Amino acid sequence: MTASHDPIAFELFRNAIFSIADEMALTVFRTTYSGVLKDNMDYSTAFADANGRLVAQGLTLPGHLGSIPTALDSIMRHFGDAMNEGDIYVLNDPFDGGMHLPDIFVFKPLYHEGRRLAFAATVCHHTDVGGRVAGSNASDSTEIYAEGLRIPPLKLYDRGVRNETLMSIIERNVRLPVRLFGDLRAQLAACHIAEAQFRELVSRYGAATVSTYMEEVIDYAERLTRAALADLPDGEWSFEDWIDDDGVDVGKPIRLFVTLRKRGGHMVVDWTGTNPQVKGAINNTLSFTKAASYTAVRSVLPAGIPNNEGVFRAIEVICPPGTVGNGVLPAACAARGLTGFRMTDCMFGALAMMLPDRVFAAGDGGNTGISIGGWDAARQPFIYVDFTCGAWGARPWADGLDGNSHMFANMASHSVEVTEAEQPIQLLAYEFVPDKAGAGKFRGGVPFRRDYRFLEEEGTLQVRSDRRVHRPFGLYGGSPGAPSANVLNPDTDNRPLPSKVTMTIRRGEVFRHVLAGGGGWGDPLERDTALVLRDVRNELLSIAKAAADYGVVIADGRIDEAATARLRAERRKQRGWQEPPKVLRDDPLPQAAE
Amino acid sequence: MAMTWRVGVDIGGTFTDIVMLGSDGTVHTKKISSSVDDYARAIVEGLTQLFAETGIGAGDIEEIRHGTTVASNAILEHKGARTGLITTAGFRDVLEIRTLRMPRLYDMAWEKPPPLVERRLRRVVDERIDARGQIERALDPAQAEAVVRALIEEGVEAIAVCLLHSYANPAHEQAIAGIVRRLAPDLPLSVSSEVQPEIKEYERTSTTVINAYVMPIVARYLRALRTGLDGAGVTARLLLMQSNGGLMASEAAAAKPMHIIESGPAGGVIGAQALARAKDLADVITFDMGGTTAKAATVEAGHVARAAEYSVGAGIMVGSRLLTGAGYLLKVPAIDLAEVGAGGGSLVRVNAAGGVQVGPESAGAVPGPVCYDQGGSEPTITDANVILGYINPHHLVGGAVTLNAARAAEVFEQKVAQPLGLELARAAHGAHLIAASNMIRAIRAVSTERGRDPRRFALFAFGGNGPLFACGMAESLGMRRVVVPPSPGLFSSFGLLYADTEHHYARSFRRLTRTVDLAELNEAWNALAEQALGQLAAEGFSGSSAKVTRAAALHYHGQSFDLTVPVPDGPLDAAALRAVDEAFGVEHERTYGHRAGTDEPVELVSIQVVGRGLKANGALPEHTSPARSEATIPPRRAYFGPTAGWIETPVLRRADLATQRVGPVIIEEYDATCLVLPGWHARLDDGGNIVIER
Repeated sequence: MTASHDPIAFELFRNAIFSIADEMALTVFRTTYSGVLKDNMDYSTAFADANGRLVAQGLTLPGHLGSIPTALDSIMRHFGDAMNEGDIYVLNDPFDGGMHLPDIFVFKPLYHEGRRLAFAATVCHHTDVGGRVAGSNASDSTEIYAEGLRIPPLKLYDRGVRNETLMSIIERNVRLPVRLFGDLRAQLAACHIAEAQFRELVSRYGAATVSTYMEEVIDYAERLTRAALADLPDGEWSFEDWIDDDGVDVGKPIRLFVTLRKRGGHMVVDWTGTNPQVKGAINNTLSFTKAASYTAVRSVLPAGIPNNEGVFRAIEVICPPGTVGNGVLPAACAARGLTGFRMTDCMFGALAMMLPDRVFAAGDGGNTGISIGGWDAARQPFIYVDFTCGAWGARPWADGLDGNSHMFANMASHSVEVTEAEQPIQLLAYEFVPDKAGAGKFRGGVPFRRDYRFLEEEGTLQVRSDRRVHRPFGLYGGSPGAPSANVLNPDTDNRPLPSKVTMTIRRGEVFRHVLAGGGGWGDPLERDTALVLRDVRNELLSIAKAAADYGVVIADGRIDEAATARLRAERRKQRGWQEPPKVLRDDPLPQAAE
Repeated sequence: MAMTWRVGVDIGGTFTDIVMLGSDGTVHTKKISSSVDDYARAIVEGLTQLFAETGIGAGDIEEIRHGTTVASNAILEHKGARTGLITTAGFRDVLEIRTLRMPRLYDMAWEKPPPLVERRLRRVVDERIDARGQIERALDPAQAEAVVRALIEEGVEAIAVCLLHSYANPAHEQAIAGIVRRLAPDLPLSVSSEVQPEIKEYERTSTTVINAYVMPIVARYLRALRTGLDGAGVTARLLLMQSNGGLMASEAAAAKPMHIIESGPAGGVIGAQALARAKDLADVITFDMGGTTAKAATVEAGHVARAAEYSVGAGIMVGSRLLTGAGYLLKVPAIDLAEVGAGGGSLVRVNAAGGVQVGPESAGAVPGPVCYDQGGSEPTITDANVILGYINPHHLVGGAVTLNAARAAEVFEQKVAQPLGLELARAAHGAHLIAASNMIRAIRAVSTERGRDPRRFALFAFGGNGPLFACGMAESLGMRRVVVPPSPGLFSSFGLLYADTEHHYARSFRRLTRTVDLAELNEAWNALAEQALGQLAAEGFSGSSAKVTRAAALHYHGQSFDLTVPVPDGPLDAAALRAVDEAFGVEHERTYGHRAGTDEPVELVSIQVVGRGLKANGALPEHTSPARSEATIPPRRAYFGPTAGWIETPVLRRADLATQRVGPVIIEEYDATCLVLPGWHARLDDGGNIVIER
């Protein structure tokens, strides 16, 4: 009896194999040293078959979907037949299986009676892998050679014996070796747990059945994905968006362009037309572009489809080499997270053209990364890395979420108190900023600001942000969200900083970042006036802005119905829409001076 | 000596369960519908009925122990107090921003749980204390007073205060608390440095707010209950079950209701702990399965595993314990329960790819499984169990509910068996196995995920459906022993009878163990111990009946997750601290399979104290005997998978296991059905527990 004919045994197996991937993820989560892993959940764990095909990925970072097969491909290419039981493989080279240098992959082939049956796989974002800027994620490096230690596919363990040469090279090239090795131990622990659990599976089902079932788990996901895709309309849709610039060629916008071609149970995601690769370090690897594409498509498919190769078979991703979505040597890519997030948003834009009532407008972009690093008086290094996001675009049925992670990552914020206890940094504010959300029948998410005061003598502040010029778009009549902002010493010099910056920061200086607001959805003049009043009462919207954006007149804490009706009529006339514009990237009417 | 009675009362959404245990071991039980408009009423009515039925007098009741969902319902239904929050300027939205993380990936329809305090009622004061507890910007009392007055004018019914770093220096919070007490002495007040003096502002804010939010509701409820009990002539004292499995006096519960929010599932685990101790079962995994969810917890070497925090209402929304962000975070110690959405009512479905899915959607109490014949049209796990012959095909609960087995078979055939191309029995058996495998994930979550091998544990099964699945799950997990206590369907209220009074205290204390000032550490620990002893004394425990134990949460410096290890009594010296370091290393290795070298610094994160009140007459009877007699039932055919097939299976009463029986055997009781698989044998131990072994 083949697997497909025994749905019960198969379901039991599927449950078991995904529980291994999740258990690996929990192991990393609990034993890691760094906030990037624990709070930003910037890691993934997976289980692949003997040929490196992804069978099960744990529930952590959507942004890593599809990255593990690419890395395993490289391992197979380099070591294919030369693998042995007890080996453990490692790599981080973006041009040979990796994504960007901080992401270190660790793989352990799993054997049964001398035959390779599977791989346990982990990838973790490490706090620092050397290079010119602490945190190894500078957005203004212009070639990979500045970005840190580049590890080609290598053996970390050879038949159980640790590669001390490699370990000592790593130790000498990174700023916080203790933390890196601690996190590497977490990766190894996850692989060991996978191995023990896999042995149990093999002893229960037998090696042949396990292999058959792994294949069937992939086919199963493919069938589910194709069935779900078949329910979507056929046709072709395109969408474009722009990244403000790469921080090197300042002011030069970078075009993202995607075309979806959907037919039956198959979808092609074609990024042809996307900007050539850029000097700044925001070039994606193809694997990351794939992850962005898969994440967006998955978000419009029903829940419950397993994460594996089967999904990838039904969604074909094309992105020409030499573009910002598929960089080639010597492209710098440390800060490519920005492009990944924004390609996801661009995908959502295209999907919103395909499915107008099912997809949200643009959120804050997900693209903010702030790091502050340096050396304290005792010459001990400190590195503070904070990726943050939080304002969702409005949805066709509800407001955008306020203070919720971007779909491409599932990050958590660091505790302010823990940050202050461990780092030479004080947070002066972490709160919503009013009047920044894009207006709409449903408004965009309200962004927040974070104010950081620096407490050491001197350090390097490195900021990667965007959505300053090209605001988060609104959909179907909804307004775009307000642009992001960076300010130095807001209470004294109040000096605006560019969206991307690497600079020296000194004791007592304050850096403020304000996220962009989420884009709105639908005509703001149709918004329920009670919701406008609620936002005013909660001080998320000013009375002036309620009138300007929504045509709602509020006096003495109440809505003036008559005046509101008049103002809304007047605004409609002023605007003169035949029908609401599908995409709005700027305000529909000139804004009153603030 | 006259008989005295101890009463356990457990309120659920549908039923209120009452168990009375006499000093000679006699047990009386009562299951009545919950009075949702006024939960206290059903308790008083149920007791009055029991008094009438048994002739026991209200004056013979020695103590009432109570587990309640009043507080958690207030949170889940957003029916708590209109609460105001005072916090540090710049951090008004900590409560609402939460941690940014969401519990579901790829879900565009995700809605964050609405904050328990809306933004207009979150007010800020201009002050700042740094991470070391130094005052950087002093609180302006005039401004603080204006903020308090503004909230009072808004008509708040409770106030929460949580300022940054108040765990390190509570001065500003105390000042604000003083203002509130002066301006509104009767207003319920929850102050973070009193409630949960630990680092992490979101966790502390959320905890402090939840405490304030349910305070008036819980106080009102406890007053009503007391009045009702007094009216019925019951003057016995009232103890509340806490989420951590300990009891607290009702007065203490009214002051810190955050401790009683998850009291429902705690009773069963504590009961399991007590029975396991009595029976020399060192290590058990408890498995509690009802109509919609299944929960697992561990008791290891007699100790219940506890978690430092949990989320109210997150429950089964979370597919994995990795994904947080659902529900309302509460940082108080609680029994570490893993929960999955699998119960008798779980729906069985075939998806587009021909896969079988069981739960987490449930048919609920209405319409319920198809076999209940109350309009249910979606096949459920209970329907599968009827088809398989495991559940009596005619009726449940001793005849109170009649079943329509034919209809269950018809619907299951059409919606599950045919799409899968399987014969009916095989499909139903498959659904049963898949439900079991979903629940196995809960068991793994509390065992293998914490480095514990389930094979060395016994499975302790209760809840209406637990004993039906336990044997099969034990088989899959390689476990060799299953224990099913008497009255498994009422065991959560039964378990209340075994609990001790308990109070947990913790505070942040972040120092490297190698450089910590021992005098400071000992002093901090003593202060916590005194707090615990003071509370115990207030509840009538002192001298040898008041016991204090200590523990510490630690991690390797730089890690963000910590592990808790016990710390011996007495003043700590350098050697004792090294032993704590070593205990941490051992636990790390045990849980995660590795530990760092001894040169790697270990950091204390928080210090903890548990105060226990030991009852002088706390010993419970060894043997409990239900006061109910039951008739015999004929054997029936039951299906045990494609290999074993249909087998004519004896249907027994618990008492029939006085002599050992070999499976397959079905044991039918008033409140649950227990299944013994082929290859296993079952007998009663001297405590009346069914012990199933292989």
